[in-house]
Amino acid sequence: MSHTFKGGVHPNYMKAPEIPATVIAPPAQVVIPMAQHIGAPCKPLVNVGDYVKMGQKIGENPAPVSAPVHASVSGKVVAIEPRPHPLGDMIMAVVIENDYQDTPCEDLAPLTEEQLKDPDAILDRMREAGVVGMGGAMFPTAFKVRGGIGKVDKLIINGAECEPYLNGDHLTMLNFPQQLLRGIELVRIASGVEKAYYGIEKNKQDAIDLLNSLNPAQYGIEIVPEEVKYPQGGEKMQIKAVTGREVKPGQLPAGVGCNVVSTRTAYAVYQACYEGKPVIERIVTVAGSALKAPVNGLTRVGTPFGYLAEQCGGFVKPPRKIVLGGPMMGICATSFDAPTIKGTAGVLFFTEEEDKHVDNPTCIRCGKCITVCPMNLEPVFMYMYYSKGDFANMEKYHITDCFECGSCSYNCPARMPLTHAFKTAKLMFQAKAAAEKAKAEAEAAKEAQK
Amino acid sequence: MKENKERIVLDVAYQPQVRTNTDTRRIMLDVIIALLPAVAVAVWQFGLYPLAVIAVSMVSAAFFEWAYRKLMKKTNTVGDLSACVTGILLALTLPSTAPLYLPVIGSLFAIVVVKQLYGGIGKNFLNPALAGRAFLLASYALVMGRYAVPNALSGAVDGVTMATPLAELYDSHAMPVYYSLKSLFVGTIPGCIGEISAAALLLGGIYLIVRKVISWRIPVSFIGTVALLTLIFGGEGFSNVDWMLYNVLSGGLMLGAIFMATDYATSPVTLNGQLLFGVGCGALTVLIRYFGGFPEGVSYAILIMNLCSWAIDKAFHRHQFGVSREDIAAAKQARKAAKEAAK
Repeated sequence: MSHTFKGGVHPNYMKAPEIPATVIAPPAQVVIPMAQHIGAPCKPLVNVGDYVKMGQKIGENPAPVSAPVHASVSGKVVAIEPRPHPLGDMIMAVVIENDYQDTPCEDLAPLTEEQLKDPDAILDRMREAGVVGMGGAMFPTAFKVRGGIGKVDKLIINGAECEPYLNGDHLTMLNFPQQLLRGIELVRIASGVEKAYYGIEKNKQDAIDLLNSLNPAQYGIEIVPEEVKYPQGGEKMQIKAVTGREVKPGQLPAGVGCNVVSTRTAYAVYQACYEGKPVIERIVTVAGSALKAPVNGLTRVGTPFGYLAEQCGGFVKPPRKIVLGGPMMGICATSFDAPTIKGTAGVLFFTEEEDKHVDNPTCIRCGKCITVCPMNLEPVFMYMYYSKGDFANMEKYHITDCFECGSCSYNCPARMPLTHAFKTAKLMFQAKAAAEKAKAEAEAAKEAQK
Repeated sequence: MKENKERIVLDVAYQPQVRTNTDTRRIMLDVIIALLPAVAVAVWQFGLYPLAVIAVSMVSAAFFEWAYRKLMKKTNTVGDLSACVTGILLALTLPSTAPLYLPVIGSLFAIVVVKQLYGGIGKNFLNPALAGRAFLLASYALVMGRYAVPNALSGAVDGVTMATPLAELYDSHAMPVYYSLKSLFVGTIPGCIGEISAAALLLGGIYLIVRKVISWRIPVSFIGTVALLTLIFGGEGFSNVDWMLYNVLSGGLMLGAIFMATDYATSPVTLNGQLLFGVGCGALTVLIRYFGGFPEGVSYAILIMNLCSWAIDKAFHRHQFGVSREDIAAAKQARKAAKEAAK
């Protein structure tokens, strides 16, 4: 039986894992945004002029859905002010001037033998070390795992890395296989399940063989080789491929007894528990046709994009877009000064070459969007009703079930802006729901006054 | 570097940031490529004249598309090659003796009336090439029914025109010896320019399926339905299997099922809807062949089913990922209960 899902596309993968992970020298100044996760943003714990050590906690919020942030270099805090955030907008950030000493902070000690078997200790450490979903969603991992205890019977580790260009997960598997398996074991213990399933696409056969040679069964892990297809790494697709279970619309993965944790997150858990190291660096694939020399670089959190481009030998062609993450689901950055954050798996500098924009796209009703939609939706009709502003029919055609994987737009020969439309429509639905709620509340208040 | 960066204006767009290389133009080009084997057989059997018919048809179709859009101050869409595909398909449904004004008039009707008046590519509800052919069939019935003797049979029969295998099948209920199943498969028979060789058309169909331009659903369900129905009902003077094979290989079935019924704008996009569309085309074809006034029913079967595409798509609206059959049944039950309660 082949492990996969229905639909999906085969984009041009453009992967270059043969470029070994290099170390990108930390910049003279790092910009650490206080929001690098879904949930409450952190409040700075330091002041301008303070000296901070590498790995020192510099921002925190006691709210349950949050994750602290740490200094990625040692040096002096020179500014605490709103700075361009990779996801757009200006967000409060701590700017640290690098003293190039990398003086380590000893606040987090490696966990003891007993602690490594105690779910609570592991979960607390995940939170303390600022571990979030590093596949890109950046959901605080400790909160997610804790919420799944008792409900989840199968832990799934996502090693699909189905996005073109990105190699960080693959290189982590090849370079740190033992550590990775240990990290997965920790997440498994914390989740309170017997077995973890590690879904890896077959285009990483060398990594699958290497991991299998290390006897993953002793850590309670089974490697599941999967068909190479985008979006295999989507949460629902990954669950379907590994377990055959389908997450219902509006349901959380825990509802079908699954939790999905990314490869890089599991490795971060290893580092946090065995080495006492918080999330301050990750492998970032820096690529795209604008760059002279693309790299897979171990990059400190807070490295500005402009600096990354310089480290890759600069531009051979003028860039038109900075794409964060993979090109299928990645969004565009608006500034060269925005820094990498915990969820940044790739920074792609694209020129006009990648952009296949046409001025007057016209649907030819080929139906290719329907055959590739992994959610079984009908993008051609969703788009039609979207352009008419027909909310009732948009709902009937399940527009809110779209998770914006981009497969339909990718495959569209007419270059219709399908995913764009659905993302916009979902925001319109949210705004509509909020307006209706406000209206109902105002009416209720009026009633109460009477 | 610093000054350089400031001059760069960055684009911002929602995902995806990359697109497949296959665009509309490439798809249309693939259809033209897939038709080349059929064109080659036409030249082999009817000489070079069919090439002139095809060329006039393609050029006039492209011209009418350009002229209409120019006149109406719309964007130029000749570059997407869809008009050329309409032109070549129309030419392939004409007899090899067709005078050159036929494809011009047919293209005018197909492009302007059927396609552009409804908004152009993707918006028309009838297959332009088939509608153009139907228009010509009604207006120029005599020239449209004159089928030249193919080169392979030039010594075997007298005269310059002859009856097609399909006409023999339904009129005289007997097959002349020179219409063997092999000759129908290879294409050494009289007929329209592009319809004579089942082998060449199947080759084109396989190319289109491999290139993912069309799916197997419509051609297989269409041809399969014709095969099944003719096998069951049979025909006078033939064994059922022979009758079925003659029905499948003669007439415009292959051309229609592979190249006409799969037209994007006029066929359903839902996957099960495509199956039903093919079955409908097949059933209507057999109905017209058995009981209709014309020997051939493929064109009208497809045109009638074109009109049903929209309704079929609506009926086959599918459920999203994660919704199981039990969920659908439960939802139906709940709706029923709510209705009862309301009463």
